[in-house]
Amino acid sequence: MSRKRKPVTDIQIAICGSAGDGTIAAGDILKRAMARAGYKVIAFDLYPAEIRGFGKCIARTRITANQVYSMKQKSDVLISLDDSHAIPHVDEVCDYGAIIYEDNPMSKVEEGGHISGHAAPAHIPYGIPFREMSERATGSARSRNMVAVGYIAGLYGMPQKIFHEIVTAKFKGKAAVVTTGNIAAFDAGYEAGAATIRLDFGVLESRSRRRGKADLVMMNGNAATVRGCLDAGIETFFGYPITPATSIMEILAAEMPKTGGRLVQTEDEISAVAAAIGAGYTGARSATATSGPGLALMTEMLGLGTIAEVPSVIFVSQRGGPSTGMPTKTEQSDLNLAVFGVAGDGQRIVLAPTNVEGCYKCAGKAFEMAEQYQTPVIVLLDLYLSNRYEAVAFPEKNPFVRKCSKGVSRRGTGSPYSRYAITDDWVSPRAVPGTEGCQHAITGLEHDVFGRPNDQAHVHEMMSRKRHEKLEAAINHPDITISKRFGDRGKVDVGLLGWGSTFGEILEAMFVAQKEGIKCAAMKVVMLSPFPKPAVVPYLDDCAEVLVPELNYEGQFADLVTSATGRPVNRLNRVPGTPMRVDEILAEIRRLADGAKQMAAE
Amino acid sequence: MTDIKKPVYLEEKLEEVTQSGRLEYRSKSLPTWCPGCGYFSIVEGMTAALNRLQVQPKDTVVVTGIGCASRFPFFVNTYGFHTLHGRALPVATGIKVANEKLTVIAVGGDGDAFAIGGAHIPHAARRNVDMTYVLFVIVIYGLTKGQTSPTSVLGFKTGTSPYENQDAPLNPLMMLLSYGAGWVGQAYAGHPHHLADMIHQAIAHRGFSYLHVLSPCVTFDKTTKTYKNLGVMVRDLPEDHDDSDQMAAMGEAARTEAPAMGVFYQKDRPTLGDGLQEIVKRARGTRTAGKRRAARQAAE
Repeated sequence: MSRKRKPVTDIQIAICGSAGDGTIAAGDILKRAMARAGYKVIAFDLYPAEIRGFGKCIARTRITANQVYSMKQKSDVLISLDDSHAIPHVDEVCDYGAIIYEDNPMSKVEEGGHISGHAAPAHIPYGIPFREMSERATGSARSRNMVAVGYIAGLYGMPQKIFHEIVTAKFKGKAAVVTTGNIAAFDAGYEAGAATIRLDFGVLESRSRRRGKADLVMMNGNAATVRGCLDAGIETFFGYPITPATSIMEILAAEMPKTGGRLVQTEDEISAVAAAIGAGYTGARSATATSGPGLALMTEMLGLGTIAEVPSVIFVSQRGGPSTGMPTKTEQSDLNLAVFGVAGDGQRIVLAPTNVEGCYKCAGKAFEMAEQYQTPVIVLLDLYLSNRYEAVAFPEKNPFVRKCSKGVSRRGTGSPYSRYAITDDWVSPRAVPGTEGCQHAITGLEHDVFGRPNDQAHVHEMMSRKRHEKLEAAINHPDITISKRFGDRGKVDVGLLGWGSTFGEILEAMFVAQKEGIKCAAMKVVMLSPFPKPAVVPYLDDCAEVLVPELNYEGQFADLVTSATGRPVNRLNRVPGTPMRVDEILAEIRRLADGAKQMAAE
Repeated sequence: MTDIKKPVYLEEKLEEVTQSGRLEYRSKSLPTWCPGCGYFSIVEGMTAALNRLQVQPKDTVVVTGIGCASRFPFFVNTYGFHTLHGRALPVATGIKVANEKLTVIAVGGDGDAFAIGGAHIPHAARRNVDMTYVLFVIVIYGLTKGQTSPTSVLGFKTGTSPYENQDAPLNPLMMLLSYGAGWVGQAYAGHPHHLADMIHQAIAHRGFSYLHVLSPCVTFDKTTKTYKNLGVMVRDLPEDHDDSDQMAAMGEAARTEAPAMGVFYQKDRPTLGDGLQEIVKRARGTRTAGKRRAARQAAE
């Protein structure tokens, strides 16, 4: 970047503490306030699988003026609420970045136990008596987290009033003293921060409070998914709690009844998807949400949904696997299960959004597709996307179609009713229970057009074809991005191909590579099944080298691309349980670009 | 308890059945069960009961799992869903939750219900899903050609227990009673009129009703629960049995050597649908209260 150019706001703040310190709550207030102040915000929290037990919590918030797509590798500020947890994260603070810590600990600190002894020479230390300030402001040490948020807000001169609004909103419904206490602690920190001379660790330009017509809403992937469900008119939901999908069910449990919706917590994941399919059979828009282990239990029932041609939507937020794996760590290793996990030939629709806004869109569209193509639709999220906060602008007008079912005309009735009539688009008119004169039974057995069990060769061949062919139209489903290309047009040296939450890191790496002069593009694939070959193949044709970065060990998406297109790809597979590192993608792009150049030279 | 008292002439019977209107509830598909199977009694009883209750075929959904019972939906002229092994109840729950107007009947066998599907029964019972579960107990796996089931007696010799079954049988009636099912009854396929009456009562009950139907497997069990043996074993519930007394019902259910026919227990309590409606009411109430508060604050 040239020196003359005005620096642009891009600050990443990490708050690190022990479970119970209020770390996540502090990050929550910071990100909501900055989003309301008009900045672009991305935030991702890391927390332990245990509720207490002094596990490590980190709330990272990236505040920018322009749209960005991932977290930064290095934070500009690290606030330590617990030194034992924060010390290993000193490395993630950039040069000339700040480390803010408690400088008046309650008890004697062991040698090497204080974070100040670990800061690098290029770090700027700010020792603050959080505990003392909290006690003075509120009479209790519990508001240390708010003093810390106040301090950072004061240092940067963030809008104090907006923080007050956010704190008030957060504690609405609790005793008034909770709000006033937290505001007092915040103000104490703010005053101290504002009175401190800040050295260089990022600029914060002032923003107008509202930008554009639509309000920016700070939301994570799960909440956006819920909003998509509600806007699509979800009527029934059946679920079983599992990290990291649980909050989808929790928010729906509060919101659905307000519009007459019905939600049942079932005894297991098998019943959850069974009931969702039962409800789908009656014509209701129904869904369930789970993670990898739950999806493993659901696969048999999803096969039933496929053969009986019943709509249902299954949200799957992936976590580290196999088995119980790493419940609070992110991974993209359930692609194979989502796309292929079924007994027999059981193709279904699988959508994988790449950002929070995409969660909203895919959630709503999944209901349309399930109904229109009469099949289960899986929406594949992951922990990073489920829990990642972004400032999102939702459309003013509800973008989802309420009724897509191919209904039965008068002529379609009659005895016996052909539930599985073969039509031009392979989708049969569907009568639901309650329709006069269309009584029929559906089954998990192979069946003829009337739904009656039949295992003759020509019947199974025809019905298998019907179930596959009808889905092909989904890759042209209106008003949803199935795949999209970014970066340089035409022929490129390196083409990135990605899916799911990792696409943010892919884009960031691509932008840096472009600035370095590498001819480079990136394509995201949102629909994993059926695979959008007509869009992906021409893109592969444009790329001298294709790189597929993803968070699994085997390269499940790379396998999918290769099997669908017959093209080899370069893989970048990592399983750290955390988002992919942008610098690792970048290193791979550089290496491939060099190779592509040499090839061209030869 | 003899059903046939005078000679029956085919023409008269046909006329009677046609006139009754219950053929409306029969499909044109021919049942695939073995001749002599007790399922024929259940289909007959079911169609008679639905006809008596005047439930429209279009508003009825029959849900099954896997097993001999599972083909049931194809032989009745209602809506039907032949689902997966053990999963009839959760699918049926979804159907009822989505459309309260439907009459939902689940039909299954004891392997489907108490082996693979065992986890779902207590929850359907405790939630009091307003549906009827007709269980057909032949104490053997029939569709896979004769293996022990959760209700097979000790010492039963089958394909999977060539050295005799060593696993004690379950007592489904006691299980259902302890799960809090709101209607628990037992019938015998050899007494089709009583069976029809019990199906009628089970469907009429508002809430989860469980009807345990004893029947022989005429093909694979020639020794234990045959028509001959069952006919001798079954008895009526004592005349003074109080069907609101859960402990008395448990006592009757414990007497497996002499299975009793009739309604063991019934109790009305709010259904799952009632609960879900209450939730909607509360959610909407809170919202209106919030709006009222906001309006009041705005006025101030």
